[in-house]
Amino acid sequence: MNLASYMPVPATIERVEDETPTIRTFTIRPRDPVAFQAGQFVELLVPGVGEAPFTPSSSPSIAERMDITIMRVGRVTDRLHDMPPGSEVGIRGPLGRPYPIDEFRGREILIAGGGCGVGPLRALLLALIEDLDSYERVIVRYGARTPDDLVFRDAAQQGWGRIDALDVLMTVDVGDPEWDGHVGVLPTILTEEHLDCHPDDGVAVMCGPPLMMRFTVEKLLERGYRPENIFLSLERNMSCGIGKCGHCRLGRYYVCKDGPVFSYEDIQSNPRLWED
Amino acid sequence: MKWAIADEHSLDEVLSALAENRVVYALVQEDGQYRLVRAEAWDPDRHTLGAYRPVEPLKSLLFRPREYLGAWTGPAADDPPAERIVFGVKNCDLSALEIHDQVFLNQDLQDPNYAAARERTILVSCDCTGFRDVCFCPAIGEQPYATKGFDINISSTPQGTVLESGTDRGAGLLEAAERFLKPAGEDLLQAREAQRAEMYDKLVDNAAACGLTPRMDMQRAVEDTFESDLWEDFAADCVECGACNFICCTCHCFQLADGIDAHCNPARCKQWDSCLFPNFARTAGGDPRPRRAQRLRNRFDKKFIFFPQVLGRYACDGCGRCTEACIGKIDIRAVLKRAVDESGVLHAGSSDD
Repeated sequence: MNLASYMPVPATIERVEDETPTIRTFTIRPRDPVAFQAGQFVELLVPGVGEAPFTPSSSPSIAERMDITIMRVGRVTDRLHDMPPGSEVGIRGPLGRPYPIDEFRGREILIAGGGCGVGPLRALLLALIEDLDSYERVIVRYGARTPDDLVFRDAAQQGWGRIDALDVLMTVDVGDPEWDGHVGVLPTILTEEHLDCHPDDGVAVMCGPPLMMRFTVEKLLERGYRPENIFLSLERNMSCGIGKCGHCRLGRYYVCKDGPVFSYEDIQSNPRLWED
Repeated sequence: MKWAIADEHSLDEVLSALAENRVVYALVQEDGQYRLVRAEAWDPDRHTLGAYRPVEPLKSLLFRPREYLGAWTGPAADDPPAERIVFGVKNCDLSALEIHDQVFLNQDLQDPNYAAARERTILVSCDCTGFRDVCFCPAIGEQPYATKGFDINISSTPQGTVLESGTDRGAGLLEAAERFLKPAGEDLLQAREAQRAEMYDKLVDNAAACGLTPRMDMQRAVEDTFESDLWEDFAADCVECGACNFICCTCHCFQLADGIDAHCNPARCKQWDSCLFPNFARTAGGDPRPRRAQRLRNRFDKKFIFFPQVLGRYACDGCGRCTEACIGKIDIRAVLKRAVDESGVLHAGSSDD
């Protein structure tokens, strides 16, 4: 490593797209291509302001630019949301361990997520779609608070919904007059009625708010998924991204370098897994 | 090879020779404490090897409180330090470097600032010949003299001085100063062992006065008491100042801080951070440890559970600095004692299970 590992490379915001009132997708072109794998994250710098970890939501096969789907939630993301196309940012990465996608070959894959957590899942889904024949089946179960909070709604309804090998279903916690889809928290569309799956050998990948993941894991275990076949993308305060600064420790792991993707088997013994 | 000072020479001559052409860090006595100071040469009138550790932790020379990483668009980092020699390092500080080495050197990605500073720093340790009231190193498996990690170790006894090298670099330095030295005799080495044993026993007694004894299982004690009220009780006095972290010889957490430099360019520093600060672990979803008690417990978790798991040792050397620095007078010995009592941990050797 040289000092550059603590220092981002310059990048340009090419495009900004509103997903929901508080979530935008930024298309970012780094000066040097950043070849990431689905599930890995990057540190995105607002120069002079600060840096925060994000997982790209675009296809990993494109290294020249990446989409990052960002909720306005704090100091750095506030500034990001105010930045128009053409603005200069910095990028450091890719960091962390990706989804073990090679282990998924030939198997049924359930992608379950909620809210902003669908970002990293989208990168995974795009990687799978590019090579759909290699997998037995791909299922997407996705939830949000309200229809307005559904990220990639158009893609999910019009694009992915048309791919035969894809089984997509969305739910919202609270509907609105135009919403004619399912209403209920994510685990309510993981029931036998709404999810026809093969948990004995199937893989489940999830990302979302801690509370959602907690109850989703419970539901998946109840459906018969094995702990070693459930993969979670965890969120902690990854700062240096290389296991040194101490901010993202979770039990005996640093989420930045030992994760952010963990199998449930690896972390289930931690009694404070869901503390936040 | 173990050396003694040749009859017509003095330890000051040896130290002056070692210090030649190097930046010197040595101890000075001030207000009943030792301070770690920078100098251009070894000054026998002012400098001392010290009877016990100074206020400042050794880590501050290798992992500085703030390191400038540069303006983010171009490398303009601090220059690596000139070669320096540190006199009077005590075992607690020396042993703590195992933690920093594991964090900053022994993973896939090395921290270049730390690596450069480590490479350019000659460590001359010496046996403790005294201790502070807060010292308790035997209780966490250490002792008041170094057995490894030094370039040169110096043991001063009433019968004479023993100089011992611990690295090739140290051996070379002593050979270069050979004109002041002679091989250490058996009597002197025995005197050293007797003095070490005596000082160890005194420290055992000092720790025992606080209810701590060698080989207590601190890992199990902290694990067993995770849900105890003890964390709330002690955290009631915490003012979240972070002094315990900053003064600690093992604490290594830092943040990458962004701001504007003197030339109005966005720039970045690496600077010490404290796990006692609110929002240390904050994510978009909130702070996983919103309560002070959780953060205090986390500090002990990191020191007495995490590091035993990943490195096979505690991230504490019993130097007692955190106890002295704490505005709320939280005594790490009292915390550990209560954890040990509550978990019912016995000495590992005499445990019933």
